[in-house]
Amino acid sequence: METIKNLSKNLLHGLSQIFRRKSDKKELYVSSAPKYKTTAGDVVFNILNYSFFIIFTFACIFPFYYLFINTISDNDLVRKGAITFIPKGIHLRNYISLRSVGDLAQSFKVTFARTVLGTALMVCASGLVGFLVTKREMWGRSFWYRFIIITMYFNAGLVPWYLNMSMLGLTDNFLGYIIPGIVAPYNIILVKTYVESIPAELEESAYIDGASYMKVFTRIIWPLSKPILATIAIFGAVGHWNSFQDSLIIMQNNASLYTLQHRLYIYLNQTTNIGQAMRSGNMQLSASMQAALLNAKTIKYTISMVTVIPILLVYPFMQRYFEKGIMLGAVKG
Amino acid sequence: MHSRDSKKEIIKPAVRAVLYLYRFSIIILVISLFIPAINAGRITSLVSENMSLFTAGVSYKTLTSNTIRAIKNGWIQAESFDILYIGCLMACLGVVGAVAAACMSLGSLKLRRLGSIFAIIGNVISMIGFGVIKIAHSQLSTTAYPDRINPAIPIGFYIIMGIVVFTMVLSVVLLVIQPKPTEKDEYELQQKYKLFLLMVPFIALVFVFSYLPLWGWRYAFFDYKAGGTLGKDNFVAFKWFKFLFQNKATRNDIVRVLRNTLAMSGLGLATSWSSMAFAIFLCEIKNMRIRRLIQTFTTIPNFISWVLVYSFATLIFSSDGIISNIIVSRGGTAVNFLMSSEHIWLKMLAWGMWKGIGWSAIVYIAGISGIDQQLYEAATVDGAGRFRKMWHVTVPGLLPTYFVLLLLQISGILSNGMEQYLVFKNPYNTNDIMVLDLYVYELGIGSGKIPLTTVVGMVKSLVSVTLLLSANKFSKVIRGESLI
Repeated sequence: METIKNLSKNLLHGLSQIFRRKSDKKELYVSSAPKYKTTAGDVVFNILNYSFFIIFTFACIFPFYYLFINTISDNDLVRKGAITFIPKGIHLRNYISLRSVGDLAQSFKVTFARTVLGTALMVCASGLVGFLVTKREMWGRSFWYRFIIITMYFNAGLVPWYLNMSMLGLTDNFLGYIIPGIVAPYNIILVKTYVESIPAELEESAYIDGASYMKVFTRIIWPLSKPILATIAIFGAVGHWNSFQDSLIIMQNNASLYTLQHRLYIYLNQTTNIGQAMRSGNMQLSASMQAALLNAKTIKYTISMVTVIPILLVYPFMQRYFEKGIMLGAVKG
Repeated sequence: MHSRDSKKEIIKPAVRAVLYLYRFSIIILVISLFIPAINAGRITSLVSENMSLFTAGVSYKTLTSNTIRAIKNGWIQAESFDILYIGCLMACLGVVGAVAAACMSLGSLKLRRLGSIFAIIGNVISMIGFGVIKIAHSQLSTTAYPDRINPAIPIGFYIIMGIVVFTMVLSVVLLVIQPKPTEKDEYELQQKYKLFLLMVPFIALVFVFSYLPLWGWRYAFFDYKAGGTLGKDNFVAFKWFKFLFQNKATRNDIVRVLRNTLAMSGLGLATSWSSMAFAIFLCEIKNMRIRRLIQTFTTIPNFISWVLVYSFATLIFSSDGIISNIIVSRGGTAVNFLMSSEHIWLKMLAWGMWKGIGWSAIVYIAGISGIDQQLYEAATVDGAGRFRKMWHVTVPGLLPTYFVLLLLQISGILSNGMEQYLVFKNPYNTNDIMVLDLYVYELGIGSGKIPLTTVVGMVKSLVSVTLLLSANKFSKVIRGESLI
């Protein structure tokens, strides 16, 4: 248990380094101490090092940029392959035409609902359980803590899990997205680690004043743990927004509950299949069908863009919360 | 810490024994609600074999999912199922009362007595529920088509009713053998139990979603087809385990899938140092602003789904992607790089690194800032250059973290997830991209070969747990620190 705790401390520490705007010099260390003169070797090293990181960073953000310019450029030019690095013939019709794409609004609603509801429940549960497992006087505390945490390391397998969900009536059911995710062991570890770093005197004085456990939790622990709760909320929300596998497995008979990613996957596959058939000449397409197909292509990219935007919005949020600085004691290497 | 508990109450051994029995029977009662084989509500074959009493009492939609045809053809009356639903719901609600009683039985005398009353009320509600189920049954029995709907009182009806009656008897016994509370007595619960009871709902969730699926391993020993039943007649013992090795086609599949899985996990292991290297070299960038910018941008891909990664892949590497566009504009022909199995393992590794390296470097970057500065200063004084400092100071400082992550990665060698491989799979590369998780999905969920894939999943889980425990042991011996 200690090892996982240390790892999670390191992760949070690293996150706080990235996302805090102001850094204190001591922490963000440059491994080569200041020297008096720069040698030729240093120059070569720096050039190579910078080039590598600039190229890699470019590789990380270019797809986002390229996706974006493809959705706003003139569709004819996109079809001809004339768009490479600069958008041409800018318009927003693709985004407007998304309204007429059937099922998309429904998938958006489902995904939005599960993101909000699922994340809220998960955060409340992780907060409460993370607090409870720090209470040494609990009956069988370490057993129950292990009982929960150990599930990170084993699972019965996909098929038994599916059969279990179906037995509980959670297949083709919106609750199948929410309930299994309420207890998230890793997030419980994160909260527990954080709660342990809160000075015990704060709690003790409240108990002496006659506060109950729930009162201490809601009045003291919850407000003080906000940075960590915000962190797990962001992770949880991203996870729900990106969810694809559970939609694929448990919503087989109910297309109205497909998540956005599942819907996007279907669109991506449709266009690839039709495109393939066209090239191999198995399918003679009329002009109108071709137009529809090309439209489908831009639509697919526009849906991708819409799906990606909320993820990019997460970043400023992270910055806001990490600004306050998640510092969890000393970091063990 | 704080002892607000009043003086310890002494409970007589006999009462204590009855209390244990009483809690135990309530726990059994709760579990029995979730076992489809003893569903008390299965009074006709129209109720699915895989439905538990809990599902029948909670989800009206699931309960009546097979009845549309039967109602249309006049085999049954629609309200029979309404009555059945009410019966199942009452049976379940009654159990809620029993659960409350079990919780109260941890408290003071007065609370325990109140609990017994709760239990009796709950059990009576459950019994009424059973009566209602019986009414539904007798109504169904009047059908003119008994061979279509097979009305019968299931064995589970008697089993669960037996447990309910047993619990009720124990509650009455408890009321009788425990002394009457005096005026000084209060409703009290010890702190340790209060805390435990707050945990109970979460423990139950973990049990239902992480431990209960293990009960599904029994499918591995039956000749089961979707919608069928498990019984003596289709019990096949280790047939599917043998099938895995004896059936030639399956064996070839498994060998191929294992080859892909181990190859891709192996590549992942072989390059697992890359995120550490990424972190070390990133820390050589002295301009803080640029460094933070690089870190921010390289962690973004971690947050997008594999479906979106695939969307990017088509955007760049498909026959109308940017690379083909550039080739065409220079007079070449468009190539779809995604529709081939060439170097597919390396390509998958590359996508994995593109997505994950910036994120996994975070832990190491935090680790680097935790290394004692004096070590670097001393090394500089001793004349160590940049690379020697990296190798002799930074790397040893990060090795413990690397070691832990590596061991965890080794124990997950069979589980590389299915999403990445599912989205990148196409007819050209399916042979080389199929990993164990994807294989289980396609065969089990896609083709309905439930017992066979349960066997595969079972073996996989056991191997993974063994690997993890060995890694843990290894870590204890080498580092004196346990992994899990």
